[in-house]
Amino acid sequence: MLGFLTARRAGLDDPLRLRRAESTRRVLGLQLNPDRDVDRIHGNGINTIDIEAVEGRYMLSGGADGVIVIYDLENFSGKLQYTCKAVCTIGRSSRYVHKFSVETVQWYPYDTGMFVSSSFDKTMKVWDTETLKPAEVFQFEGNVYCHHLSPIARKHSLIAVGTTNPKIQLCDLKSGSRIHILQGHRAEVLSVRWSPRYEHILATASADSKVKVWDVRRASGSLFTLDQHNGDKSKASSEAVNTAHNGRVNGLCFTGDGLYLLTTGTDDRMRLWNSATGENTLVNYGKVCNESRKRLQFTVSRGCSPEFVFVPCGSSVAVYTLHTGELVTMLRGHYNNVDCCEFHPDYQEVYSGGKDCNILAWVPVLRPSGVEEDSDHEVKGAAGQSSVNPAFQDAWSSDED
Amino acid sequence: MSRKRALISDAFNLKKRKNGTEQFGATAAEEGPADIKSSLEYLMTLFPRKLFNDALPQIVLKHQLYSIHSDRTLVDKELNKMRERGDLLMFQLGFDAEAFGLVFTSDYKAKVLVGEEGKTTQTTVERFLEKVVTVCTDLSFTKDKMLKEFLFTDSEITQLVKSGVLTVRDAGSWWLSIPNSGKFTKYFIKGRKAVLNMVKKSKYGEVLKAEIEERRTNSQVKFHMKYHIHDIVGAELVESIPTTSGTLLRFVDS
Repeated sequence: MLGFLTARRAGLDDPLRLRRAESTRRVLGLQLNPDRDVDRIHGNGINTIDIEAVEGRYMLSGGADGVIVIYDLENFSGKLQYTCKAVCTIGRSSRYVHKFSVETVQWYPYDTGMFVSSSFDKTMKVWDTETLKPAEVFQFEGNVYCHHLSPIARKHSLIAVGTTNPKIQLCDLKSGSRIHILQGHRAEVLSVRWSPRYEHILATASADSKVKVWDVRRASGSLFTLDQHNGDKSKASSEAVNTAHNGRVNGLCFTGDGLYLLTTGTDDRMRLWNSATGENTLVNYGKVCNESRKRLQFTVSRGCSPEFVFVPCGSSVAVYTLHTGELVTMLRGHYNNVDCCEFHPDYQEVYSGGKDCNILAWVPVLRPSGVEEDSDHEVKGAAGQSSVNPAFQDAWSSDED
Repeated sequence: MSRKRALISDAFNLKKRKNGTEQFGATAAEEGPADIKSSLEYLMTLFPRKLFNDALPQIVLKHQLYSIHSDRTLVDKELNKMRERGDLLMFQLGFDAEAFGLVFTSDYKAKVLVGEEGKTTQTTVERFLEKVVTVCTDLSFTKDKMLKEFLFTDSEITQLVKSGVLTVRDAGSWWLSIPNSGKFTKYFIKGRKAVLNMVKKSKYGEVLKAEIEERRTNSQVKFHMKYHIHDIVGAELVESIPTTSGTLLRFVDS
């Protein structure tokens, strides 16, 4: 570590190298921290969480009872022990709350003044954060499984919506129109995701085992469909041609640079695809347990040297190395199934929510310095007092002077 | 569960490796790609040739290699290289979409030709082995391909199916297969089920690997115990947990 610092200072190393090495070290040290907690507001399972892209300070969560909560993740109290407080809630008592479970929530990518939520009550609502009232409500004919706003869009403000209807609807935030439809899937669309690299590229995953990549500017159909055998028709039975998985595809995630796409399916497999050509990179992750009938929200780390994928696997979160497929560790802590997880890129923290109504924060463990002294301090000191870093302790002035 | 030793990324691993002093179990798996061939050969020795009266070539399943080497992507890449070179053949065994059987090309050709001695289908099979198996690495063939690319007639295709080298996949396409492998599949599935039951019925659904290898096998299990253990570990039907008394196999309920 000191080697990296001196090399950075002397200019021998690129500044990015130290940052990446430290981020990777922090991600590898993720653990449940007794000092960090998230307020428990939800009475039912948590389906989705989203951390805003601008500051990384506020987190949205949507629950199975239709409740939406906003948490403040920043710790300004000066103490080590911190509970992420709920700033505001759209609870069951609100007039505008969703009637059934909220499946997806997402902040407006450019500021926290607005967020969009979609739910099994067949509506998608665009909320004003200040007043907590919906500014716009989009009505659909089937349950809405997921929606996504492009995080980099400048020329359009489309929300892609996946419902039980095989057609994907694009709703325009500016005009409120919903006439743009993408046709091609044969069963319900479980997950949609815009590319973080090109603002017109959209990937969609459906229960018909197919994943299609679209350019929304094109009138004719999808750009390509992902094929798990890379065109080698001899490998599997003839029905499995052109399918991404041997079961429903319920999770989609682009890597931070948008060059690769990860998909998970109910055949217990996770696949990594080259997002430009649609080629299966054939990285073998082994068995990634997946029994979800709805969308699975998983995430990829950003800014680390071997990137890591965090996938909810039963009641724990599995961490895999992105390009080699090696299982690094399992983050165990939830009491019931985990439904969603999200990576905080600035602090290398992972937040995961599940059916046990808890959101757990996985925080990197810092190097333990003088562990024995600190624990003595905390035992003697009153509850809530922060333990002072021994480097800042006053060790030279004496009481006699 | 808090870790006693934290995970360290490669970038921070500055300790120089001492020469040959530390030999933990994990290091054995980090050997270079050349050793995939030797683990293949080792697994081939576990295959019971006497059981089938030497009529079958030695078959290993692809996921058995995953239980020996930890990096699955590397294993896949190596196997593909060997298949491209023509040393190895891969077959879809039929009972599981993901279970692929591996046979050395030389073994396969030898056994098939021995089996075809004196039969009417011999010439067609020889031609098939020469022209198709050496050239093409596909697992299955469509009618189109057989007729146009390899110039086999319909009656010749029927002869190949009769001899067991091709198995029907669906209308107009066939899997490449091993003749007389039905017995292998039957014994294999029965044996796998029996071994899994042995693990499941143990106290707490888990058993030490060393212990189960020593156990007396009942009449259902015809193969070597180790063959089945590599299979169930590689297929992730049991979880392999390293403990201080050795590797523990825990039944996975799915």
